Amino acid sequence: MLEAELAEKFAAYAEARLPGARNARVDSINRIHGGASRQTYSIDLAYEDATGPKMKGLILRRDPPDSLIDTERRVEFAAIKSAFGHRDLPVPEALFLETGNAALGAPFFVMGRIEGGDPLNPFKLEDVEPHRAAIGEQFFRHLGSIAALPVEGSALSEEIDTPDANACWRRELDYWTNEIRSNSLSPQPVAEAAIRHLERNPPPPAQRLSVVHGDYRTGNYLQDGAGSMTAILDWEMAHIGDPYEDLAWATDLLWCGNDMERAAGFLPWPEAIAIWQEASGCTFDPVAFEWWSLFSHVKALGIWVTSEKAFAAGDNDDPILAWSGWFTHAAHELMLAMRLGPKYGAGG
Amino acid sequence: MSDIGMILDRVGRKLVTEVAPKLEGDYSGGHVIMGGVMSVMAGEAWDGAADRLVNEINGLRGLIELAGKEVAVAKSESLKLSDLKRERDELARYIVALQMSLEAREDDEAKALNAKIWAHFMATAMARMPSPPDFPDAETEPETGA
Repeated sequence: MLEAELAEKFAAYAEARLPGARNARVDSINRIHGGASRQTYSIDLAYEDATGPKMKGLILRRDPPDSLIDTERRVEFAAIKSAFGHRDLPVPEALFLETGNAALGAPFFVMGRIEGGDPLNPFKLEDVEPHRAAIGEQFFRHLGSIAALPVEGSALSEEIDTPDANACWRRELDYWTNEIRSNSLSPQPVAEAAIRHLERNPPPPAQRLSVVHGDYRTGNYLQDGAGSMTAILDWEMAHIGDPYEDLAWATDLLWCGNDMERAAGFLPWPEAIAIWQEASGCTFDPVAFEWWSLFSHVKALGIWVTSEKAFAAGDNDDPILAWSGWFTHAAHELMLAMRLGPKYGAGG
Repeated sequence: MSDIGMILDRVGRKLVTEVAPKLEGDYSGGHVIMGGVMSVMAGEAWDGAADRLVNEINGLRGLIELAGKEVAVAKSESLKLSDLKRERDELARYIVALQMSLEAREDDEAKALNAKIWAHFMATAMARMPSPPDFPDAETEPETGA
C-alpha cells in the first residue's frame, strides 16, 4: 500500500475512533527505519472536535509480510498497556488495536507518539556522552521497574499464560531452540552445544514472575541528548517470566560496544546491579545471571537465523535482515564459543 | 578477471558516502546504508571465503578421524563455495552427533576430544566474524535488526 493511500485510510480510521472527531487528515506520514518486526510510521493527524482544531502525534505499527519475530501485535499492545502510567516508566499510550486486515490491509496498532528523543545506536554508544551515567541510571532503574510491574490483573496476563517460576527457563529455551531448528539454513553446532549445556545446567527458579520486555536494550529506547530516556519501545517480545531474562539481554555484549567493564556500556557493574535490585526488588544471583546471559546469546541466534531465512526466501527484503543473519549471527556465535569453550577445556 | 573484492568494496563505499546522504530522511536511505556496508564486508569476505571453508572442512575431518570414526561425506568436486559449503554442512551435522555422544561419556578421552571440538568452534567462530567497515566521515553504523 502506498503511503498516500495508507494516510487516507488511516485518517478515516482514526476519525471513526477518536471521540467527536471530524475532518481528520494526515498532515505527515514517515516510515521509521530500524526494527523490521513491524512497519512503523510516525504520523501527524489533524482533526477537529467540539473544542476546536487538534493535532495529534501518533505511531502506527503495522505487520509486514514477514518479520524478524513472529509475534502477535495484541501481546505487544497489552504489554504497553501494562506498563503505561506505572512507576514513571516512559512508555507511550496504547490507543487502538486492529487484528484484521480490513482497515489498513494488515493488522496494526496505534500508540501516542512521545515527542523528543532519538534511539541510541548500540554500535555508536559513545554518542551518549556526556550523559553516560545519567542514561545508565535510568536504563537500569526502568529495567528494574518493569520487573516490578504488577503481573496479576495486567492486560498482558489476560493475553498470555503465566508460567510457573520453575518453568520460565524451560519454556524460553524450548521456544528459541525450536526457532533455531526450524529456521536455520545450515547446521548450528555451536548453538546446539549451547542448548545442551543450558539444559544440563538449569538456573534456579525465578525469584518472582515479572513482565519481561523481551528486547530491552540500547537501540530500543529514545533519549533526548540531554540525559533523559524519553521512551521505552519495541515490546513485541514481551511475556511473563523471569526478570533475569531482561537483565541478561539488556547487558548482552552486542548492545554494549563490547564494553566488559561497564554494564550495558553505561555503569560499573556493582552500581548498575544495585540500581536494578532496588527498583526490581530482586536479589542479584550470579548463577542465575550466568545462565540467562548465555541463554541471551542462544535467543539472539534464534532471531538471527529466522531473519536470515526470511531474507533468503524473499519474504522480507529489508537488508537489515541480511545484516542480522550475517554480522550479528557471527557475533553471538563467537560469544558462545568463547564463553563455553573454556568450560570444556578448550582455549586454555 | 576483475578483482571482485575491490569492486564490492568500492561500490559499497560509494553507496554509503555519496548516495545515502542524498536520501536522508527517506526510508530507502537506510536500505542504501545497509547495502553499502554489507557490500564492503562482502568484498572483504570474498577473498577468504574458500580458504575459510576448506579450513573448516579440514578441521572437522580431523576431529572425526581423532574419534576413530569413518564418515561417508564425499569430498567436494570443486572449489566452488556452494560445493564446499555442502561438504562443510554435512560434516557439521556429523560433528553435532559426535559431540553429543562424547558428552554422554565421563572418560578422559571423551573429554579431551570434546575440548578439541570446542577449540575448533572457537577458531571457526573467530574466522567467520566479519569486521564492520569504517567510514570515518559518514553516519554509517548499522542498527541491530530485532
